[in-house]
Amino acid sequence: MAEIPFPLPDLGEGLIEATVLEWLVAVGDQVERNQPLVEVETTKSAVELPSPQAGRVARTYGEPGETINVGEPLIVFEVPDNTAGIVGTVPQEAPARRRVRLTAALDED
Amino acid sequence: MDTNLQPAALPAEELRELYRLVTAVRQLDLAAIAWQRQGIIPGYAPELGQEAAQVGSAFAMDPKHDFIFPTYREMGVALTLGVDMTAYMSTHKASWHGGLYNPVQTRLAPIQAVVAGSVLHAVGWAHGQTLAGTPGVALTYFGDGASSQGDVHEAMNFAGILKAPVIFFVQNNGWAISLPTEAQVAGGTVAARAAGYGIKAITVDGNDAAAVVQATREAAAHARTGHGPVLIEAMTYRRGPHSTSDDPGRYRSLAEERRDEGPDPVRLLGDRLLADGIADSAFLDAALQDANANADRVREGVMALGPRPGSEMFDFVFAEPTDALQAQARAWREESEHV
Amino acid sequence: MSEQLSDTVASSDLEAAARNAALAAGQESAEAPSPEAGEGRMEHLSMQAALNRALAETLAEDPRAVVLGEDVGRLGGVFRITDGLQARFGAERVFDTPLAESGILGMSVGLAMAGFHPIPEVQFDGFAYPAINQIVTQLARMNYRSRGTMPMPVTLRVPSFGGIRAPEHHGESLEALFAHVPGLKVVSPSSPHEAYHLLKSSVAVPDPVIFMEPKCRYWQKGDVFLDDAGPLQGSKVVRPGKHVTLIAWGAMVARCLQVAELAAEDGIEVEVLDLRWLKPIDAEGLAASVARTRRAVVVHEAPLTSGLGAEVAALITERCFDTLRAPVGRVTGFDVPYPSGDLEDEYIPNIDRILFGIQRVLEYRRG
Repeated sequence: MAEIPFPLPDLGEGLIEATVLEWLVAVGDQVERNQPLVEVETTKSAVELPSPQAGRVARTYGEPGETINVGEPLIVFEVPDNTAGIVGTVPQEAPARRRVRLTAALDED
Repeated sequence: MDTNLQPAALPAEELRELYRLVTAVRQLDLAAIAWQRQGIIPGYAPELGQEAAQVGSAFAMDPKHDFIFPTYREMGVALTLGVDMTAYMSTHKASWHGGLYNPVQTRLAPIQAVVAGSVLHAVGWAHGQTLAGTPGVALTYFGDGASSQGDVHEAMNFAGILKAPVIFFVQNNGWAISLPTEAQVAGGTVAARAAGYGIKAITVDGNDAAAVVQATREAAAHARTGHGPVLIEAMTYRRGPHSTSDDPGRYRSLAEERRDEGPDPVRLLGDRLLADGIADSAFLDAALQDANANADRVREGVMALGPRPGSEMFDFVFAEPTDALQAQARAWREESEHV
Repeated sequence: MSEQLSDTVASSDLEAAARNAALAAGQESAEAPSPEAGEGRMEHLSMQAALNRALAETLAEDPRAVVLGEDVGRLGGVFRITDGLQARFGAERVFDTPLAESGILGMSVGLAMAGFHPIPEVQFDGFAYPAINQIVTQLARMNYRSRGTMPMPVTLRVPSFGGIRAPEHHGESLEALFAHVPGLKVVSPSSPHEAYHLLKSSVAVPDPVIFMEPKCRYWQKGDVFLDDAGPLQGSKVVRPGKHVTLIAWGAMVARCLQVAELAAEDGIEVEVLDLRWLKPIDAEGLAASVARTRRAVVVHEAPLTSGLGAEVAALITERCFDTLRAPVGRVTGFDVPYPSGDLEDEYIPNIDRILFGIQRVLEYRRG
């Protein structure tokens, strides 16, 4: 697993911080790219921040009412190291199983 | 090239039906992404943003006479044609590559993964209608990426020469995996190429379901009356990833998506219905509920799909199986089924 | 780059051919490290990372190397094999092409004519089919057609074989098709170590090499001895044994090693031979192993009929006919299109089917 942090982005001209209003995802959730993550309030407006990527939520920063500075951590995603290719799955290494046993009697010269 | 097709109003009942369809496609598409995350299916190619282009074009065709050639991202086409969606989704469950539906009965060719692979087939099928004197029109789907394949040139050239009754339906969704259209399509549009083949071209707003219906009906009438092929380029946007394993963050930003994605085709149609007084919000809500119920039914169906019997590997290789292959099937049964 | 070409056309064919070959091959001898046994760098890498590293080093060392293909640039390839290469070496040397495999291979032929060392990628094995025309009619025979004045130092990377429950055309085994074409060389690595060294050596070969990467092994990690390639040609015995030789390549090598482990529990010592180069095939290596074990079973994912197993069996029979105790066995995929994920495990030779294959050659009695 790799962790990918997402800092609070610059939400508009001159704004240096935002207040968390409500988290829309929880630690452990699998989120999709573009899915709303959190509602924050700036001095200008309240906005929903969409997720920049798909992944599992590892940590979030800031309880409702707390202020976060632009550039500081907002959320950390957990993504698998072994991402599959564009299609298909990553095969899991399974222990070797068999039903057949070798029974031949060797008659070496 | 007619780039200013003004959508004449469709009958209200058709617009309502279109809304039910795009909503059903949207909800099933979102559901399928969730199934992949839940481990129900190994992978899926979302079509978020392309609902209007797919539903609108399929809606305009006549399955009694016509035949449709999809790629692997035409779930909305299949749903509109009334294909059993569990049988369709079985391709993503890895049950059977081409899907488990009957292509002859549904008039939807098997799903296939080589982009532009079926474009020439559509021309051949269409020319078959000319030879047989039947009124069918072929509709073949491909994307801005597939337009780079040599087969597309061959298909358009053949169709132009033969005046084949075929519609080349390009869903220009802006992206071929990580490559944007400007790095894919020299000259900027696929529709512009049609002129070189002497083919009629229509560029249409692919997010406007009613406009797509209009364009496709016009094209079908043109082809059916012996005037030859038509190329429709539906301008739309792949709002989601290429596939459930794709990470678009590696090649485009959310800001770029916001800038380029255009209107949401489902919302666009809903807003029009409300604004024109064709439907009320209760209708839209009911459509959403039906769509979710349908997605749940398909989910149950997909989950109930058992693994295919191994003997099917051998059953469909030939119309007339060879002795050697039957011997391999016997060996497989002895070694794999009855150990 | 263009100077080299105009220079060579002016001189005599054979001279030019020799010089071109030396030029293309020169890369390796100039850059090859001098490995000292037991020393040197070792890293634990996935095959994905090992291939990425080999490409990065090739691009750094060979100014004529270029990487091209669908999504190899900004995305870093659908399996991330070219991850970061465009950022490091620029979009002129690592570039995304339009979606057209025949175009990618035809372009590579032209780039090679202009003196470059193209390393094209075909995204999946099944998409090599649309490129077959350029591979067979052009790439494979340009050196011949030009009487040696236009060698084709092109390494075509093809994520190959099955095992990942992918859609159609994403699990094909094309080695026999490629090996049958005069003018092509074919290689398939079985481990991260092999992948790293075989890719670097393939790029240095002055001929077209089809490099078949076993995609179901991209993620497993293994030790890569960066400074100690060992022999780069021929086959490799990866597990010694005395009763039967299992011959495999790509992903089937790992499976055969599992089988050998299980067979040992039954008192059968299986030798596993990683063929590595599928063309040219190391006939002497095969003969040397089978001369010891006197029995052979070849295992591949591709269909049985006219598969590479037939060639392997013929080579062994020609060299070991008098000592063989049984006809060479074959455990392969069936003569059916590569099936959907549901049936993948029925199709790919599994442990039991390989054990059955071993049992058959052990039981065989002459007369």
